[in-house]
Amino acid sequence: MKPSMQRIDEATGRYLPVIYPEELPYWEALKQRRLELQRCKSCAKVWYPIGPACPHCLGLEFDWSLMSGRGIIHNFVVYHKAWTPWLEKRVPYAVIQVELEEGPRLTTNLLNCPVDKICIGMRVEAAFEDVTDEITLLQFQPNTG
Amino acid sequence: MTGMAAPVIPRTDANLTEAARAFRDKTAVAGVGLTLGKFPERTALSLAIEAFKLALDDSGLKRDDIDGLITLSFGSDYDRFLEATGLNVRYAHQGWTHGRFISPTLQFAAMAVGMGMAKAVAIVNGKRGKAFGQPTDIEMWRQGLGPHGESPAYGALRPAFGAAISAQRYFHLYGGSNDDLGPICVAFRKHARMNPIAVRRDPMTLDDYRRSPWIVAPLRLLDCCQINDGGSCIIVTSAERARDCRKTPALISGMQGVHAGPDYHNLALPGLGVAQQNVYNYTPSADDLYSYRMAGITHKDVDALITYDAFSPLVLFALERFGFCGPGEAREFVKNGRIELGGELPVNTSGGLLSEGHLSGWNLLIEAVRQTRGECGERQVKNAEVVQYGCFLGESLIFRRAS
Repeated sequence: MKPSMQRIDEATGRYLPVIYPEELPYWEALKQRRLELQRCKSCAKVWYPIGPACPHCLGLEFDWSLMSGRGIIHNFVVYHKAWTPWLEKRVPYAVIQVELEEGPRLTTNLLNCPVDKICIGMRVEAAFEDVTDEITLLQFQPNTG
Repeated sequence: MTGMAAPVIPRTDANLTEAARAFRDKTAVAGVGLTLGKFPERTALSLAIEAFKLALDDSGLKRDDIDGLITLSFGSDYDRFLEATGLNVRYAHQGWTHGRFISPTLQFAAMAVGMGMAKAVAIVNGKRGKAFGQPTDIEMWRQGLGPHGESPAYGALRPAFGAAISAQRYFHLYGGSNDDLGPICVAFRKHARMNPIAVRRDPMTLDDYRRSPWIVAPLRLLDCCQINDGGSCIIVTSAERARDCRKTPALISGMQGVHAGPDYHNLALPGLGVAQQNVYNYTPSADDLYSYRMAGITHKDVDALITYDAFSPLVLFALERFGFCGPGEAREFVKNGRIELGGELPVNTSGGLLSEGHLSGWNLLIEAVRQTRGECGERQVKNAEVVQYGCFLGESLIFRRAS
């Protein structure tokens, strides 16, 4: 896998994530259906967004650590306006912020759930969406287990 | 809220330096110029120069009295502006001078004057909603999510995302719903109807508001500002010199910067739990009220509040940011005309970004100056002596009418 600065998938018109070099382990893990985030070797805390230093203790040494993939919906909004043709076919769609069991909050979508059923506090689990041959996007879905 | 008591500054206030005490009321806004609307045939440079001329006329200063210039990092650049106006300066600065960084920019100008680096600084902004040959909305592609939390791959587009997701957390923590935002939009529209240059001037009722389509729920179309073309200029000089200018000086009494960090997510009130913010009931600390202490006032002395309202929830956040009301109380505070002209605390008397228009926010600062001078006609706050420009991220300027 390589860094990617391609903002739009020419084939579908979908916005793609920009992939910076220091994020490659995150994206490689997603491709293998694993959610990994950085865990500090000094204070053992996990952080997000991905960055070169631990925002809790400014430590520079870290491991890529497997997350449980479980969390709760901490926040959400519902888009009714579509800003691109690709999104026109998807409105209304939700953008959620999930609080992982490990602490960090991630911004994603919620799969397999109508937007009027979404509420803060709902239990969710990680899901994985292949958006191109190269890129798998982290998503979440209701945790029924 | 009128009537200025003699300022009392406790001697024990360790953060308030001697320089800050000495700085109070020593600099002033001496001139403003503003155009707002649709100018499809005009460049940003042309709009900037018009605003500059308007501000010179307003102040009575001449072009060559200006020896400092600050311009916006997009639109008309400082060097081209100076070349086009034939002006040489000894203090030029160009930066991110839109949105949350407009009042810090005015603060830079005041400090440059205060430090003797320039005698009169013009802050000039020429802006087109869509600039010729320049990309728009580049902020959402910033590394590690956009400044308002945007994440285009997930369809989390545009600054409306940050405001919507902050409002959602506010309602979750304190109760209420989108319906609580209606009184803000209606109040500002009433104000805009008294402002000849306001872009949105049609009458608006709460029912009109409730019929407004969803954009990013919990925000409706009428909760969002629109972006305009236009030009603005503010001239800052010493209070002494401003007294010789054409208009009543708007003295710069107190100021404080943008508070930033993981607890200050953009377009959120601290404590809401947006992105990585901690969750708690925010009440202002001493640092959050620094500009009041610098000016020797409290929030009770503020006769009008002008605040950044690109989205209506930001007004709730600003009211709680500076202690005009307690945690979760702003949604009741904005009702029953309290923030309208004639109310307890008139807010955004020009109509704000929601109804006057959005010129990178600069039109708000110009309204604050005009209210301080007492020149707003039908929409003038009676006997206004102290006007605050204060926003949800904590940045603040206290203007005081020169006696």
